Amino acid sequence: MAVNVMYFLSILFVMGFVCLSAKPSPVYGGLTLVVSGGIGCMLILSQGGSFLGLMVFLIYLGGMMVVFGYTTALATERYPETWASSMIIWGTLLLGLIMEFLLLYWWASNDQIEILVDCYNMGEWIIYDDESAVGFLSEDPAGVAAIYSYNCWLMFVAGWSMFVGIFIAIEITRGN
Amino acid sequence: MNFLSKPIIYSTLIMGTLITLFSSHWLLMWIGLEMSMLAMIPIMMPNFTPRSTEAATKYFLTQASASMLLLFSIMLTMTYSGQWAIMQHQNQMASFMLTISLMMKLGLAPFHFWVPEVLQGIPLLPGLILLTWQKMAPLAILFQSFSTINKPLMLTSAILSVLLGGWGGLNQTQLRKIMAYSSIAHMGWMAAILIYNPSIMMMNYIIYTFLTTSMFSMFIMYNNTTTSSLSHTWNISPLLTAMMMITLLSLGGLPPLTGFAPKWLIIQEMMKNNNIILPTAMAMVTLLNLYFYMRLVYSTSLTLFPSKNNTKIKWLYQHTKHIPLLPVTLVLSAFLLPLTPMTNILF
Repeated sequence: MAVNVMYFLSILFVMGFVCLSAKPSPVYGGLTLVVSGGIGCMLILSQGGSFLGLMVFLIYLGGMMVVFGYTTALATERYPETWASSMIIWGTLLLGLIMEFLLLYWWASNDQIEILVDCYNMGEWIIYDDESAVGFLSEDPAGVAAIYSYNCWLMFVAGWSMFVGIFIAIEITRGN
Repeated sequence: MNFLSKPIIYSTLIMGTLITLFSSHWLLMWIGLEMSMLAMIPIMMPNFTPRSTEAATKYFLTQASASMLLLFSIMLTMTYSGQWAIMQHQNQMASFMLTISLMMKLGLAPFHFWVPEVLQGIPLLPGLILLTWQKMAPLAILFQSFSTINKPLMLTSAILSVLLGGWGGLNQTQLRKIMAYSSIAHMGWMAAILIYNPSIMMMNYIIYTFLTTSMFSMFIMYNNTTTSSLSHTWNISPLLTAMMMITLLSLGGLPPLTGFAPKWLIIQEMMKNNNIILPTAMAMVTLLNLYFYMRLVYSTSLTLFPSKNNTKIKWLYQHTKHIPLLPVTLVLSAFLLPLTPMTNILF
């Protein structure tokens, strides 16, 4: 069952990027990025990384929603082009989807789908406390804890990078 | 750029490269590359012209996709070896992707098109930073992982870089484009020697930095961006005309000058490794480079380039810009050849 979920989500994931690369206007590019990002979070979630999936969904997609809001606000077209508004975009989209399904068919006929099953069985996202205790900890919160404890300088670098990122974005868009 | 934002941006630029140089952890190396790439963007567009914005966008896109490939290869290494330290890659695919991403960052041959495009759109000082400081971090990563790099891939890219760097610059009149193509060709020489002897690669990088710094300092001094404006140097500063000739010939790698040392050592080292055809081809293809350096030499110092009469009175005006480092870099880029044996001590 779980493999089927992953299989389905993977198809949707690629489909999102096909839609993105055949986007008719930037607004829909943002939209498909949000959709694919959400599906990516669900992929992580379905493998057991519940904390990571939730965090990425809330923070990354939260930011993406802001960007999406800005692009929508900045797009001055009142009637943006959609996928169905011109035959060429429609054809590109269809071609991409057909390519995806052909590739999928080729994989399935060569028994390559098993890769997904292998991925799914790569191991639980659980680490054990030690032999005497019976504590369980999921791997992703453990990693976060590790970053905060003995990787504090990494946090400093990451914080500075985040600050510089927003600073530079403001610096180059403020104009003269 | 605002004077308050300058220290933040320049310190991030320096810190990013230094983090990459000093770290032994793949993730921090990637973070350092990203930091210096991000800090480069506002430096490249100080006056917000559409041209510089376009150049910065091009730079951002190529560097971001290269960083993405690098991160992907790092994660593959992590999956297969279970650790983050720089070590021998067991996985061929990860090493391949690492090499390709660093080739994109350095502007090596199949991925070299962004270099002239970006450099032409930005002012001279950011161009100097782009050609020298920004190459340091990717070169340091290559330096540390040279033993696992796929040799045919690197050598193909090297010979292609030398060829296309010479070929592309042939009919250019814009100095920044010429310097960009010259950078591509020099990167090709560095890539060729990297897998045999990375110390010589570092020496070539340092000498190339001296040469480019003195060339760009001379351009910055009188704000020259075209061959025809460069050809007026004779009535501004005759001494600089002569030094420009010497620096250009040094860039081309002519024997009594500094630029000959790396070429000499590279050819010698490759022949020691029984690789004779490749250095021969590279030396011959570099003649294309020498050709367009010679054209610059000819139009600046060997002839009186045709110009209007009212542009010939520039000697009347006093110099306004003073670049204190210029004499030092000029001497370093001209007379370092006798010190070549000292490179044994340096590395």
